[in-house]
Amino acid sequence: MKLIAERLDRISPSQTIAIATKARALQAAGRDIISLSAGEPDFDTPQFVKDGAIAAIQAGETKYTDVAGTPALRRAVVEKFRRDSGIDYAPDEVIVSTGGKQVIFNAMLATLNAGDEAIIPSPCWVSYPDIVALAEGTPVFVPCSQNNGFKLRAEDLEAAITPRTKWFILNSPCNPTGAAYSAADLRPICDVLLRHPDVWIFTDDIYEKLVYDGFKPATIVEVEPALRDRTVTMNGCSKAYAMTGWRIGFAGAPKALIKAMDKLQSQSTSNASSVSQAAALTGLTGPQDFIGEMVAVYRERRDLVVDMLNQAPGITCHKPEGAFYVFPSMRGCLGKTTAKGAKITDDESFVIALLDEEGVACVHGSAFIYPDHFRISYATDTASLREGCSRIQRFCRGLS
Amino acid sequence: MSVSTRPGLSQRFGRVRVAATVAMSIKARALREAGHDVVTFAIGEPDFATPPHAIEAAHQAALRGDTKYPPQDGTRALKAAIQRQFRRDHGLDYALDEIMVSSGAKQVLFNALMATVDDGDEVIIPVPSWAAYTLMTKLVGGTPVHVTCPQNNRFRLRPEDLEAAITPRTKWLMLNYPNNPTGAVASRAELAGLAEVLLRHPQVWVMADDMYEHLYYSDERYATLAEVEPRLMDRTLTVSGVSKTYAMTGWRIGFAGGPKDLIRAMVSMQGTSAAGVSTIGQAAAVGALDGPQELVAERAAIYRRRRDFVVDALNTCPGIACHRPEGAFYVFPNIAGCLGKTTAGGRLVQTDEDFALALLEEHYVALVQGAAFGMSPYLRISYATDDASLAKGMERIAAFTRGLR
Repeated sequence: MKLIAERLDRISPSQTIAIATKARALQAAGRDIISLSAGEPDFDTPQFVKDGAIAAIQAGETKYTDVAGTPALRRAVVEKFRRDSGIDYAPDEVIVSTGGKQVIFNAMLATLNAGDEAIIPSPCWVSYPDIVALAEGTPVFVPCSQNNGFKLRAEDLEAAITPRTKWFILNSPCNPTGAAYSAADLRPICDVLLRHPDVWIFTDDIYEKLVYDGFKPATIVEVEPALRDRTVTMNGCSKAYAMTGWRIGFAGAPKALIKAMDKLQSQSTSNASSVSQAAALTGLTGPQDFIGEMVAVYRERRDLVVDMLNQAPGITCHKPEGAFYVFPSMRGCLGKTTAKGAKITDDESFVIALLDEEGVACVHGSAFIYPDHFRISYATDTASLREGCSRIQRFCRGLS
Repeated sequence: MSVSTRPGLSQRFGRVRVAATVAMSIKARALREAGHDVVTFAIGEPDFATPPHAIEAAHQAALRGDTKYPPQDGTRALKAAIQRQFRRDHGLDYALDEIMVSSGAKQVLFNALMATVDDGDEVIIPVPSWAAYTLMTKLVGGTPVHVTCPQNNRFRLRPEDLEAAITPRTKWLMLNYPNNPTGAVASRAELAGLAEVLLRHPQVWVMADDMYEHLYYSDERYATLAEVEPRLMDRTLTVSGVSKTYAMTGWRIGFAGGPKDLIRAMVSMQGTSAAGVSTIGQAAAVGALDGPQELVAERAAIYRRRRDFVVDALNTCPGIACHRPEGAFYVFPNIAGCLGKTTAGGRLVQTDEDFALALLEEHYVALVQGAAFGMSPYLRISYATDDASLAKGMERIAAFTRGLR
C-alpha cells in the first residue's frame, strides 16, 4: 500500500527550490550573493512587542488558551478592524490562528468539496492554489496584466464565475506584485459579487499597512457592507509588526464560518502559541508610530528599485502601491544570450543566469503562476538593493 | 436575490465534532463566571509553571531577534535537541531529516494522517482513547476501527484483539502510552507482544504517541515501540512534545521522529497548512530539552502522590470503582454502581454523561464522561491540579455519590 495520500500529490512541487539550492551552493562556495527573494520584513520585531511577550511569560501565560484565541486578543482584533476599516465584528466573529496561512487553510478545508472552484487572480502567492487543491477544490486563475497595474478587472471576474464557484480570493496589497486596491478599485468588483450571492470572498489584507504615497487601501466589507455575511477578512501581525516568526494571523467572518474554522483548528492544532498571542496583543494595542517609520523606509527603497530597474534594457517595471515587492516584466530579454553565453528562453532561465553570472537571487514569475516576469523583494538594506539593481542593469546590458 | 447566510460547509467538515472535553470546560467556565466555586478535573493540562530555563531561552531568543520565519520542519537547534532526547531516553537514532517540529503533538498527528490516509483507509484506535484520534481520522476521510481495551486487562491492548482488527485496508495503529484517558502504560513485554503481531502485517504503520512518557510511576523508564522492536522503526512515527513533560501547553510545541519519506510528506503538509512553528516557542523548547531534567522527576513524584490520593478517595465513594493506573495524570473510574439512581437534586443518572452533568450542576465539579473517550460508564479525572482543589473535589464527589438514591 502506498504511504502517501492522494491529496498530497495535489500540492505543486516547489518552483523555488532549484534557485534557492543554487543560491545556497554559490554562497557556500564563497560567492558574494545578493538575495532579493525574501518574503518577510528585514526589520526586527519592535522592542515593546518583545517586552509584552516576556511579561506574559513571566505572568505564566504559558497554558492552553481558547482555540480561537484569548478573549483579550480577540477584543484587540475586533478593535483593529473597527479602527482601520470601520468594520464591526463581534468577538465571536473573529479567530486567531498560527499565521495567516492557517486562516486560509481552515476556511478552505471547512468549506470546499471536490470540484468546487476558487477564483484566484494571478500573479498570486502559490499557497492559495495549493491549499485549494489540498482541500480538493479547483483553482481558477484570472490573469491581471501589468498594463492594468496587475489589478483584477471586474469583467474578468464576472467571466470567471460559474455555478461551481465557491470562493473568490483577493490579496491586496498583493504578493508578488505590490498592487493594492482602493475603495474605488473595489467598487466594480463588489458590484459583480453582489450579482453572485453564492460566491464567498476571502480577502487577504496581510500587507495592509505597507502602502505608499498616501495610498488608502480598502477592504471588501468596508466598501460593500452587504457582502459582510459571506466575506472572510484576513489580516495578521507578520508584516505590519515584523513578526513573521511568531506566527499570528487572524480573521473576521460570519459567526457560522468562524465556528467551523474554530472546530477545525481545535482538531488540527488548537490555539496559536499563548506567548505569541500576548506579543500580538501588545503590537495591536501599543503605539503604532513605528509602522510609519518602517513604511517611509520601504517607500524610499521601492522608488530606488523601480527607477533602477527601468533603466535596465529589456525590463519594464510598474511602480506598485504597496507590499515590499516589485514584479518587473523581462519580456524584452527573451530570446537573447547573456554575456557568458546562456540563452534566455523564459523567466526561469533569466533568474538562473542572473544568479550564476551576477550573484543576484530573485524569484521567477512562473512561481506565482505568471511567466515572463520576476519578483524582487526590497525588504533588504538600501546598499544591497543598489548593488543588486546595478548588477541587474549590467546583466541586461550584456544581453545580445 | 437571496444572500446565502450559511457557509455551505464541506462534507469533510460534517465529520468534525467539538471535543467533549472542550464542551465541558466551556460549561464549567460559564458556571464560574456566574459566581460558582467550580473545581475542574476536565482539562489535560499540567498546573505547574514552565521551567525557568525554558523561559530564559525564550527571552534571549526574542531579544536577539530570533523572530523571522522558521524553517517549516523546525529550527536546526531544536531538531538537534530532539535528536539528543530520542537518543538519551530511548536509544533511538534519528537523522535530522527524520525529525520534525509542529504546533503541538496534535499537529503532528494531523500532518501524518492528512499526508497518508486516503478515503476508506482504516485506522485502528484502541479505546478508550483521546477523542482526537477518531475525529481526525474521520476528518481526513479514513475509517476509525475501535478496539476495546477492557479494564480487566488494565486498559491495555491485547495482541489477539489487534490481530483480529487488522485488514488489508489498515493503514495505521494508534498507540498511546501512558494513556489518555486511562493512565495505562504498556510494559516492554506487552509492547513486544504487539510488535510480534505488527511484524506479520507490513502494511500497518504505527503512531507511538508518547506525550506522557515522562509521567510513568514506576522504577522503569518508559520504553517506546521502535525501541522495543527496532524492526518496526521504518514504519513507526514516534511522537512526543514538551507540553506535558515540561508544563508548556500554551507554547504549542510537539515533535516526531520517523522515516524520512513520511517526515518529508508531513513537512509538505505543514508547509501548506500553517508554515512553521513559533520561533520563540521553539527556542523555549530547546531550553527545556537541554536544561536540567531534575524537575521532571520531582514533578512526577508529586503527580504520583496525587494519583494515590485520588484513587484512594474515589474508592471510598459508593458506586465507584477506580483502577490505579501507572502513568499520565488521569484516572478512569468505573461508575456502573451509580447508574439507575437519582441525585439529591432529583436528576436521574442513566449514563456517565448524566453523572458528569449532574455533578457539575449540583456540586460544581467538572470532569469528562467516559463516553467521550469511547468507553462507558466511566469518568476521566485529571489530577493535574493543586492538592487543595483535589481534596475539595474528592469531598464533593463523595457527597454526590452518597446522595444517590
